[in-house]
Amino acid sequence: MADASIHTPAAPQYVAAVKASAVLNRFTLWAAFLTLSAVCVYPMIWLFLNAFKSTNELFQASWALPETWRWQNFTTAWGHGISRYLLNSVIVALATVTIELLLASMAAYALVVMNFKAKVAIYMGILGGMILPPEVSLFPLFKVMAVTDLYNTYFALILPNVAFGLPFTTFLIRAYMMGIPLDLREAALMDGASEGLVFRSIYLPLCKPVLASAGLIAAMRVWNEFIFALTFIESDSVKTVTIGVMSFAVALRADYGVMMAGLTLSIIPILATFLILQRQFIGGLTQGAVK
Amino acid sequence: MPSRRPATLRQSLTAWLWVAPTLLFLVLFVYGPALANIRYSAYSFSAMSQEMDFVGLANYIRLFADPLFLTGLTNNIAYALISVFFQVAFALTLAAVLEARIFPRFAANSFRTMLFLPSILPVVVVGLIWQLLLAPSLGLVDQALWALGLGEWSRAWLGDPDTAIFAVIMVSQWQWTGYIMALFMVAIRAIPRDLYEAMELEGASGPRIFFNLTVPGARETILIVAIITILGSLKVFDIVWVMTAGGPNHSSEVLGTLMYRAAFRDDTIGYSSTIATVIFFIALTVGMVQIKLQKDH
Repeated sequence: MADASIHTPAAPQYVAAVKASAVLNRFTLWAAFLTLSAVCVYPMIWLFLNAFKSTNELFQASWALPETWRWQNFTTAWGHGISRYLLNSVIVALATVTIELLLASMAAYALVVMNFKAKVAIYMGILGGMILPPEVSLFPLFKVMAVTDLYNTYFALILPNVAFGLPFTTFLIRAYMMGIPLDLREAALMDGASEGLVFRSIYLPLCKPVLASAGLIAAMRVWNEFIFALTFIESDSVKTVTIGVMSFAVALRADYGVMMAGLTLSIIPILATFLILQRQFIGGLTQGAVK
Repeated sequence: MPSRRPATLRQSLTAWLWVAPTLLFLVLFVYGPALANIRYSAYSFSAMSQEMDFVGLANYIRLFADPLFLTGLTNNIAYALISVFFQVAFALTLAAVLEARIFPRFAANSFRTMLFLPSILPVVVVGLIWQLLLAPSLGLVDQALWALGLGEWSRAWLGDPDTAIFAVIMVSQWQWTGYIMALFMVAIRAIPRDLYEAMELEGASGPRIFFNLTVPGARETILIVAIITILGSLKVFDIVWVMTAGGPNHSSEVLGTLMYRAAFRDDTIGYSSTIATVIFFIALTVGMVQIKLQKDH
């Protein structure tokens, strides 16, 4: 790696030119990142500010601050069903994440610690589910929901969401469990503990970090899920936020201020969580997402 | 992996019980329906009818002769190319700059948070916000163009068949570039720091460090992100459905919207299943490439 040139004194003009271009580069990079940040964040600020305006005011000056802060836009939007949609999303997300984490940790546990026939084939069969996009199964799933009377219930969202999430969640948890020493289990079994007890009182507690991260990824996926909610749900009382805001937006085409207030309300929970826990959030969502 | 004796039947039965619920979910809601879908593509029927007419490959012949199929496929490919440029090339560059310690730590962290922000929003909300931002006169994009003296560029971005799909694609870049950037930052952090210091001591320029160290060091992540991005572009549905629903005049259709419309608007289930089967085989091919690439490393 030795390079003679770094020991040779460079001509002073050359050094000055390099320094000047370094300052220029630095300035360009600051400008570029400040612009990009504004492009990413400003649309949300624009939405929040316009949520307080009347439609007239909005069309006159959508970039200006509101003349009067019309809080009633928010109460009107809330009354249009946003609260119900939020609650439905919470129910579907909680149920999906709980079932998914439990089943995926069980499968991962068996795949990591147990010795059984067709193990590799079963693991490949689970991972293969990651390749299939939900679009491919949409109509047959719709038919299943219709025939079983699950159509238009929470289950029509929870069951497919769990199924399509299991491969990746199993993959994440399995990778983490591989790092837990097998002796722990063997010693416990020797002492007469059952497989279930080892899983519950040794593996699950040790897996807390990956369960948190996998749970967050799953929750975000379910919260944003669109195509199942669009296809398997029709009543307002079961609609999740994603589909709710869409019918909301259609119903309020004429009243932009209220519509924007509704959109604002629909993203506040997730935005607040993100801003409070940004480090854990970004860490959790990027961890293991690419392996 | 410790060497083990072959499993006994008893051991296998216990283990199968632990994986059974997961397998059951996959068979009932992923693999079963996907296979049923392939079978449906050989029939002609409507959602509520009891009878299904066997038509063999007629749906496929109709599909490959359908000009909308070509429009959709072309849009999917444009989606994939533009996404690879932004979410692989551009996002990697951004990540490299943020990890190069050019900015003070606080600034770098804030930039990362702000660029990451769009990715936490539901796609539907992003679509609706950008519908408003791109609307003529009301929207900020138009007003910004006028303010910059580029008023003649102003147009109804989503209402114009020439620009609709590109407007949708750009919104998708807006949403995901920062997320992929954060992924790359994790990958870059895994490259040993002293390699960077050695190159800096030698006086290597930023671009040279980027191409000789960052790109090879993050190669694995780059490959996988590229595949995920391409796969995502080929199966895209939600952002297009929310922003244009494939319009105006079908100019922004993608395979996903064609499939959905055929099933749930036109009630031609067999034809819809045919489109879904094509998506299935494209996804399968891309997925195989990914598995092959991962095995090679």
